[in-house]
Amino acid sequence: MTLFFVVTLNGLTLAALYFLAASGFSLIFGLMRTVNMAHGALLLFGGYVGWSVVDATGLWALGVMAGGLAAALAGALVQIGVLGRMQGDELRQTLASIAISIILADLMLWIWGGTTYQVRTPSWLTGGTRIEVLGIGYATVRLYLMVFALSVGVGLWLFIQKTRIGAVIRAGVDDQDMLRALGYPINRIFVLVFAMGGMLAGMAGVIAGSALSIAPGTDLQFLLSSLVVVIVGGMGSVGGAALGALLIGLAEQYGLAYAPTYAAVVTFVIMVFVLAVRPQGLLGRAEA
Amino acid sequence: MGTEALLRLSNINLHYGSSHVLHDVSLELSDRPLGILGRNGVGKTSICNAIFGLEPITSGTIMLGDQDLSKLTPEKRAQAGLGYVPQGRRIFRSLTVEEHLRILERKGGNWTTERVYQTFPRLKERRRNLGDRLSGGEQQMLAISRALLLNPQVLVLDEPTEGLAPAIVTDVVELINQVAQEGTSVLLVEQNLHAALAAVQDVAIIVGGEVVERVTAEALENDPKMQKQHLGLEAAGA
Amino acid sequence: MRYFLVLIPLALLPLLLNDFWVSQVLTRALILGVIALSLSFLATYLGVVSFAQVTLAGVAGYAVAYFGPNTVGLGFPLPLYVSLPIALLLSMAAGALIGLVARRSRGIYAIMITLAIGVAFFYFTRQNYALFNGFTGFSGVIAPKMGEGNWGDPMPLYFLALGVSVICVVLVNGFVRSPLGLAVQAVRDAPGRLLALGIPTTYPIVAAFAFSGLIAGSGGILNVWFQERVSSFSVGIGPIIDVLIISVIGGLRHPTGAFVGAIVYVMLDIFAIDLIDRDRFNLLIGIVLLAIVMAAPNGLHQLAIDWVGKLRGRAEQPRTN
Repeated sequence: MTLFFVVTLNGLTLAALYFLAASGFSLIFGLMRTVNMAHGALLLFGGYVGWSVVDATGLWALGVMAGGLAAALAGALVQIGVLGRMQGDELRQTLASIAISIILADLMLWIWGGTTYQVRTPSWLTGGTRIEVLGIGYATVRLYLMVFALSVGVGLWLFIQKTRIGAVIRAGVDDQDMLRALGYPINRIFVLVFAMGGMLAGMAGVIAGSALSIAPGTDLQFLLSSLVVVIVGGMGSVGGAALGALLIGLAEQYGLAYAPTYAAVVTFVIMVFVLAVRPQGLLGRAEA
Repeated sequence: MGTEALLRLSNINLHYGSSHVLHDVSLELSDRPLGILGRNGVGKTSICNAIFGLEPITSGTIMLGDQDLSKLTPEKRAQAGLGYVPQGRRIFRSLTVEEHLRILERKGGNWTTERVYQTFPRLKERRRNLGDRLSGGEQQMLAISRALLLNPQVLVLDEPTEGLAPAIVTDVVELINQVAQEGTSVLLVEQNLHAALAAVQDVAIIVGGEVVERVTAEALENDPKMQKQHLGLEAAGA
Repeated sequence: MRYFLVLIPLALLPLLLNDFWVSQVLTRALILGVIALSLSFLATYLGVVSFAQVTLAGVAGYAVAYFGPNTVGLGFPLPLYVSLPIALLLSMAAGALIGLVARRSRGIYAIMITLAIGVAFFYFTRQNYALFNGFTGFSGVIAPKMGEGNWGDPMPLYFLALGVSVICVVLVNGFVRSPLGLAVQAVRDAPGRLLALGIPTTYPIVAAFAFSGLIAGSGGILNVWFQERVSSFSVGIGPIIDVLIISVIGGLRHPTGAFVGAIVYVMLDIFAIDLIDRDRFNLLIGIVLLAIVMAAPNGLHQLAIDWVGKLRGRAEQPRTN
């Protein structure tokens, strides 16, 4: 039973990270129909910046913020400089974002090298916490990660459902042309959403570097998990990203623990199954 | 107040791929409400798309007063003073009535959310409902209100009476008349001849992407032959 | 006639070049070109950009390794005339399967799904030892004997690759003119209309993917003989992106442009070392890809056509004026 609990917690840890990564990816896709293949690179970039800031200052929270802001800025620049110029041409955007992710990955390899980094955590995050109900101990940082992901999810939902900008974003998701014909400068909203997506990815990068570790390849890992998560959960909805992340995170860890040979295939089977039954994803809206 | 043109379309051509949809369309809209009539598929909605920049025109110019809109983005055109009530209403389905109005409200404008609620008490009752939970008539009121909140100089309505019950059609026509009286220029694209004739003073008839007739509403009303020839109607209001 | 203008120099080139050029530049470019052709074929005629073509090539490659000679003591050696058809059938079947999974997805959805399939296959080969020998894969997969040497020697392999390339181009041209090929293009142009007419779209989509599996599989077999090994790295994200880049450079809407893209890519790969630090090759290739996507979205092939057109236009202008 202990194994089961630990595996479940590992699955939830992974799900929390996947959600943080996929929510920004999904938000961007939902509004702009842009598949941002550079999303993983933004995440790793945020992680590296966060590591460097924590390394220099010793302030973990500052590192998380710096990582988020750096990736937000990078995301906004990507949208303004490249992807915004080919708005509406989704294939070109996809290809351009692949090029950007290759460039970013190589630049990061240049700057930070091939080493694996772990972000130093403050004392309240270090060590383990005993969970009496389950009778096991678990890494504190991972428990906080789950809390953090949960609050980001709730915060994001409130932002989109309850604020004026959130309403504008929803309107853009519903009918972009109509919003423009009503005089809304949609390009500014695109940049804003891209920056938000980058922010979420960047923070996820620092947190991934705290709870696990980051290295070249982390970018791809999270890009791919984001892809699968949104395919399964449904594009463009926070709830879909959460559900997809939960399913994939848990499935991966259970697979790894109980059927190691087929762990990679479990994820894939879930994806194929969802595609066969609901091509738009579990919580996705059918394409009009 | 003269009859000087406020919105002027000159020799607009528009292509979808290889098909030529609009042929040298020229229209002038003054403060006299203008109706654009024609059968299904003659390019009426394409004219709206051209005006708002939702489809790129191949040639021609679109002027609003002294300002050339032809090269502007849709959002810049709307900001310049165009209000759009599109065909099919295109209500944002995941926004509530209230959110529709709040995101578009401008400070100090003639039309405010409060005024919309006074004009349409029905919308106030349903202000917490999502766009796709409204009836056709409610959606139409919301679509018109949404455009009016921009306090436009020119209001373009594309088939606003489509699919509405006769009583509601009358309401919509009344509202258009009221808006026109308050000084907004109205361009009404319609298939419903009866509704159009009640709302506009001048009419342009479109056939095959071309303007074939320009008449006053009165003249068209009294010319069943023209109605039959271009609009396929046996008699007005039949 | 036009084909011979290209083919005769290609057939004569090996006489002028040393083994390094023949094998590391020309043969490699042809093999990559064949695999990229399978991608450009789908992009052009079905309108779907598939990231799973390297996976299909890998399926055939693994099959040849498993059913042929290798030095890892795994598999079930069969004579060539059995193992080759099996390999191609498997890559076609895999293609059909991918087409079935992705049949309802278009545009960016198809990209995401095929990418996910490709990467899932990559992880699967790493974890499975019974069929794929895990991380290390198969080595010592030598090409069949031919007289003194074998088909894997530089010259024979070059001509083999050239022959396969020609056959694949001919096959693609034939396929797109066949009734099935026309149905595929009809699906690309108006899937909704076909469904409205009661014509199912599944069959043409699956057939197009299966056909692309045949092309990709041919390239995959050549690649195994060229590398003499196949492993998870042969089907990883690196090769997936490489083949995509090749297709984009050549022009996604120009199937034969894949070979132009391949030669450009291989030259960059080999000679970048003289221009920049070897470690920064990815930076260079990323910038090249970005530049192409931004400046020449239809690839070099189209860019060249446009330039020629412009030059001609300019030359003709004085006359028309």
